[in-house]
Amino acid sequence: MAGNPDHLFSLRNNFYLGSYQVAINNSDIPHLSADDAVERDCLVYRSYIALGSYQLVISEIDSSAATPLQAVKLLALYLSNPQDKESTVSSLKEWLADPAIGNNAILRLIAGTVFMHEEDYNEALKQTNAGGTMELHALNVQIFIKMHRSDYAERQLRVMQQIDEDHTLTQLANAWLNLAVGGSKIQEAYLIFQDFSEKYPMNGLILNGKAVCCMHMGNFDEAETLLLDALNKDAKDPETLANLVVCSLHLGKSSSRYLSQLKLTQPEHILVKRASSAEGSFERAVQSVA
Amino acid sequence: MLTKFETKSNRVKGLSFHTKRPWILASLHSGVIQLWDYRMGTLIDRFDEHDGPVRGVHFHMSQPLFVSGGDDYKIKVWNYKLHRCLFTLLGHLDYIRTVQFHHEHPWIVSASDDQTIRVWNWQSRTCISVLTGHNHYVMCASFHPKEDLVVSASLDQTVRVWDIGSLKKKVASPADDILRLSQMNTDLFGGVDAVVKYVLEGHDRGVNWAAFHPTLPLIVSGADDRQVKLWRMNDTKAWEVDTLRGHMNNVSCVMFHAKQDIIVSNSEDKSIRVWDATKRTGLQTFRREHDRFWILAAHPEINLLAAGHDSGMIVFKLERERPAFAVSGDSLFYAKDRFLRYYDFSTQRETQIVPIRRPGSTGLNQSPRTLSYSPSENAVLICSDVDGGTYELYMIPKDSIGRSDLQEARRGPGNSAIFVARNRFAVLDKSNNQVLIKNLKNEVVKKSGLPVPTDAIFYAGTGNLLCRSDDRVVVFDLQQRLVIGDLQTPFVKYVVWSNDMESVALLSKHSIIITNKKLVHQCTFHETIRVKSGAWDENGVFIYTTLNHIKYCLPNGDSGIIRTLDDPIYITKVSGNTIFCLDRDGKNKTLVIDATEYIFKLSLLRKRYDHVMSMIRNSQLCGDAVIAYLQQKGFPEVALHFVKDEKTRFNLALESGNIQIAVASAKEIDDKDHWYRLGVEALRQGNAGIVEYAYQKTKNFERLSFLYLINGNLDKLSKMLKIAEVKNDVMGQFHNALYLGDVQERVKILENAGHLPLAYATASVHGLQDVAERLAAELGDDVPLLPEGKKPSLLMPPAPVMCGGDWPLLRVMKGIFDGGFDNIGRGAADEEEEGADGDWGEDLDMVDVDGLQNGDVTAILEDGEVGEENEEGGWDLEDLELPPEVETPRVSSNARSSVLVAPTPGMPVSQIWTQRSSLAADHAAAGNFDTAMRLLSRQLGIRNFGPLKSMFLDLYSGSHSYLRAFASAPVVALAVERGWSESASPNVRGPPALVFNFAQLDEKLKAGYKATTAGKFTEALRLFLGILHTIPLIVVESRREVDEVKELIIIAKEYVLGLQIELKRRELKDNPVRQQELAAYFTHCNLQLPHLRLALLNAMTVCYKARNLATAANFARRLLETNPTNESHSKTARQVLQAAERNMTDASQLNYDFRNPFVTCGATYVPIYRGQKDVSCPYCTTRFVPTQEGQLCTVCDLAVIGADASGLLCSPSQTR
Repeated sequence: MAGNPDHLFSLRNNFYLGSYQVAINNSDIPHLSADDAVERDCLVYRSYIALGSYQLVISEIDSSAATPLQAVKLLALYLSNPQDKESTVSSLKEWLADPAIGNNAILRLIAGTVFMHEEDYNEALKQTNAGGTMELHALNVQIFIKMHRSDYAERQLRVMQQIDEDHTLTQLANAWLNLAVGGSKIQEAYLIFQDFSEKYPMNGLILNGKAVCCMHMGNFDEAETLLLDALNKDAKDPETLANLVVCSLHLGKSSSRYLSQLKLTQPEHILVKRASSAEGSFERAVQSVA
Repeated sequence: MLTKFETKSNRVKGLSFHTKRPWILASLHSGVIQLWDYRMGTLIDRFDEHDGPVRGVHFHMSQPLFVSGGDDYKIKVWNYKLHRCLFTLLGHLDYIRTVQFHHEHPWIVSASDDQTIRVWNWQSRTCISVLTGHNHYVMCASFHPKEDLVVSASLDQTVRVWDIGSLKKKVASPADDILRLSQMNTDLFGGVDAVVKYVLEGHDRGVNWAAFHPTLPLIVSGADDRQVKLWRMNDTKAWEVDTLRGHMNNVSCVMFHAKQDIIVSNSEDKSIRVWDATKRTGLQTFRREHDRFWILAAHPEINLLAAGHDSGMIVFKLERERPAFAVSGDSLFYAKDRFLRYYDFSTQRETQIVPIRRPGSTGLNQSPRTLSYSPSENAVLICSDVDGGTYELYMIPKDSIGRSDLQEARRGPGNSAIFVARNRFAVLDKSNNQVLIKNLKNEVVKKSGLPVPTDAIFYAGTGNLLCRSDDRVVVFDLQQRLVIGDLQTPFVKYVVWSNDMESVALLSKHSIIITNKKLVHQCTFHETIRVKSGAWDENGVFIYTTLNHIKYCLPNGDSGIIRTLDDPIYITKVSGNTIFCLDRDGKNKTLVIDATEYIFKLSLLRKRYDHVMSMIRNSQLCGDAVIAYLQQKGFPEVALHFVKDEKTRFNLALESGNIQIAVASAKEIDDKDHWYRLGVEALRQGNAGIVEYAYQKTKNFERLSFLYLINGNLDKLSKMLKIAEVKNDVMGQFHNALYLGDVQERVKILENAGHLPLAYATASVHGLQDVAERLAAELGDDVPLLPEGKKPSLLMPPAPVMCGGDWPLLRVMKGIFDGGFDNIGRGAADEEEEGADGDWGEDLDMVDVDGLQNGDVTAILEDGEVGEENEEGGWDLEDLELPPEVETPRVSSNARSSVLVAPTPGMPVSQIWTQRSSLAADHAAAGNFDTAMRLLSRQLGIRNFGPLKSMFLDLYSGSHSYLRAFASAPVVALAVERGWSESASPNVRGPPALVFNFAQLDEKLKAGYKATTAGKFTEALRLFLGILHTIPLIVVESRREVDEVKELIIIAKEYVLGLQIELKRRELKDNPVRQQELAAYFTHCNLQLPHLRLALLNAMTVCYKARNLATAANFARRLLETNPTNESHSKTARQVLQAAERNMTDASQLNYDFRNPFVTCGATYVPIYRGQKDVSCPYCTTRFVPTQEGQLCTVCDLAVIGADASGLLCSPSQTR
């Protein structure tokens, strides 16, 4: 394992850390093997998806592209068209059943992601549980966190730590889990994000991570500073806006502007959904109590 | 042994260090005495007057003297400043072995083969005592450093200690010195002045050397029996203590070390040995191949030793003196003695933190070499050379102040170890050329091979290593396993990163290389003497020390000396103009330096001209060096501001094109050459006025005329004509006339000059017929023939494009301070150039990398795959690596799904919240609005939830934060808990963090008071209602706070009620009675004093206006009782009282009896006197007339009047 430069390292890292544009800009890496090139393309297209450029991905990946890329395209299709999720999901299921390609790590990863969006965690786990790549493990951690099963998430994390404790995804997953279990672990999560901020350029994801830690530690003032910093870097980042809403509420400041901005940029955001469903449940509750 | 300096010469028999200066004297077998500067490594002087070998030499402590003794029987005293021998002391009858000055008295002691020791007075230049008793060659003799003793060693196998106390008495009466001398000479054999105190017998052969311990009553001796013996003495006797065996041949010299508990000896067996003086064991041996050692010398003050051998000498140290340290922010960690210590730069206080291991064998150079600190984990790594390289990991306890017990450090072998991340450190495994990455439990997490053979690693930012090999350094990314930067360097000893981690200084023995973080070379500095340490200041200037200087280097490669140093220091931090450093004893020191010079240069470099300007104004920055620097760097205009000398000033002004200053200077200097040069420059710039002025000053009429011609300044031109006429300058006159186109004048001039034919020709050509005729007549026959067929025309000066004044001026820099724009332009151009350079450099790098990849790319890939598979061993996943065509996946996919037993989803945190809590707020935050409402209804009788809607929603929204985890996967919502503490255990759920807290309500209350005072009643009402509406969802910790909350409800309720009454009153315009009543009720709400006063004042005014004087008087009285602070209020009140006293009646009957205590009904606003029936609001406790029962409370707008309720529950402490 000694001395092999990993050409895609920084690309992957940027992608994991949410520096999607940086990842795209620096994706022109010479002398890649065919496999590496596919992985590179996957990362680039997934970056575009993360940036919301679904159509670009859909139009650029043609039917002759490799399976992983097709899977990525599927994700773009799924996310771009909220009305027609069923067809995407069904073709995804079809592909997964295909023995020739059903085992592809990227396909499984995409499947896991899609089923997570569908909130069908069982189905998601079916695809991702076996692991195989760091990304799959990391996704597992996230699924378990979503399922409020931090015990399982911790087990997944251990696996990742055994493979490579210093891997960016391991660190990230560790931070997610720390945040999910709370208590003294919040500090550790903060330190992990702090490490990232020292090692890599500050971006929205890192700032948000730190800010969330601060909020969980009850330090809303510092969280606000961090979030405003993040807002400067990307005024439309939904997580930044969502966390700003929360943070402002706790500081007793007006949150309405952030909320309406969030409603504009990402009407599907979980915070917006929660807020609107809360209104409904409030009315229902009033009815039931009255 | 750390060799500092070495010479090659004839055999060295004698050595002596200078006390203050870095000098050493070496006396040679060839008869020469050399004076060396061992720091610079230069031969300063040589003294060659002895005939034959010189065996003894010694510097005087304070005078510029040294003494030498040779085989020519002569003792010579030299003055090294005068480079000559002052005098010679004669008396010995055989070779002289050693000579030594007394530290206090003007004495010299000498030992000779004539079997005597002599003591000389070098001031009177006489021998004052002869010590006889040895019966063979005396090999050495020396004074005791404090007492009146001399120790000598002789080939007669004895060591003798002599008492010279009586000598001192003799000197005390110098009058009879001469007398004594003669007397002494008489008893030359068997003298009485100095007597043998002890004779130390024990060596079996001749003794070559004996020396006193500097403080203890000990003597050490070395002899031809190859032994070193240790002797102890007291007042009455001396005895042998121990023998150190080990030398293989005659021991030539031996001595105690002044600062450590060790003995150093050397011998003809070609070795120097170091012994532990207490344990009497050998510690270390240094051998030379071919050279026998003859002599040792110790520096009187610093830790230096010297040894002379067959072919020269060496100056050396036994141990490194640099304290190991690490700087982190405002803290310095360093190792001193047996402790790890901490120093705070801001408070300048130091504390001892943890004891560190003392090496089991007290070998030399076992002390910590390097120290690395991880701030977030508060851990320290210490590396030392123990057992061929060991690191130790210490965790600093949190309550680090004070002593703590010796903790068992985690340790391991390794040549160097440093932290590479918060909780990871790298240990160099030199033999396999790899680094082990370990965690804080000292477990190996990862191994990584290194790209170059590495003998030391340094920190290079998180996750990176700076690897040093003999001739290069490399920055290596441990995760990517990629070489980020690579630079050929001399052997790098220390690495200093700038505060922003963008630049690094690589310190080697005689040079400093500054590069950026990718090791792109920026500049190199060479030093002739050793570079010791360095640190970056806040401005990016690197401050470093050599053995004897503090110097700076600027990013552009300029460097200079800040100050000189007496002793070497190790800079730890530079802050402004304060340098923090450690000295060789491990003491923290601060030095204040004058940073002006380099800050000035830096400002220039950074184009911070405002800075430059203020520095020029405010400081006495001056000197030729600065001017030369400015000129050389292309800032003559700045230099201009310093210079007083007019000539320099003039030159600088011309160089910077500053004509104004040049003119001023030229006026001061007022010599032709300067005016001329001024004219040239002014002409270049097109400043015609100055050109004219300069020409006038130099009386350069031709140029002046030409200038006027060019300018079209005909008036001045004709003046010039006149001047030329006055000066009798015919040629000048003619020129000017020609320039003017004045034909008559020209003819006149020619005529006057006697050139009649020319005058005639001119006149006739230009049609001046009468003049021409007159001239023709004068010329007679000599009338010149004019060429035919040519049409003459008058040469008139062309009209100048620009008349008068200056021409468009050449754009010159008028000094950077008023011509800022020019400079910016220029600066930008410069930067572009630099940028281009940078790109070039990078391009080249790329090519390198590519070249490398082309070769190895396949190999690398294969390796990579193998590695991955290995890593995943135990995870039955090989199938995943297979290409899709292979036929196995179906099985495995089945296996995959069959293996999976998906766990049942866990309980969401919000559900836990609702289960655990009976506080409405917690339920609302969890999103369980219906249970929250039921709770509120049960506890407070709240039925109307409309006003609480936004609170519910905010609580719910604020209960979760959002974490973007995996790209494109759904966002994770994380429950935010309140009351977080560092020690909270994970996985144990706390209650939700709530967006409302008591402090906010307090703020609101204050705002409400303020609005009330300002009379903004609607605003105030809104605020107080807001408080009432928030309180049901407030959670506080303690019972005491619960009471405060309850109080707050009452306060808010009173205000809401009062404000509602007052607002109602204002609505009623046409019902004065009711108005008065309401105003009166308002005064009975429980208000703050200032508000009560206002309410009273208001009620008083209303009633007074309505002629209800008695009631008004009551309000006036109450108002006066409050001692109103506003004088006008009390005045009005008194007036009302006076008016009322005259007529104590009410015009109209009010439903208001102030004598009878009452509360006001919250809905109908009628008084409910004590004893009357009422119902109250279960939440805000407002009281109502019984008819209101079952209605919604009009004050809080939440609860139903008279409903059953269990009471406010706003703290978990209430339910415990």
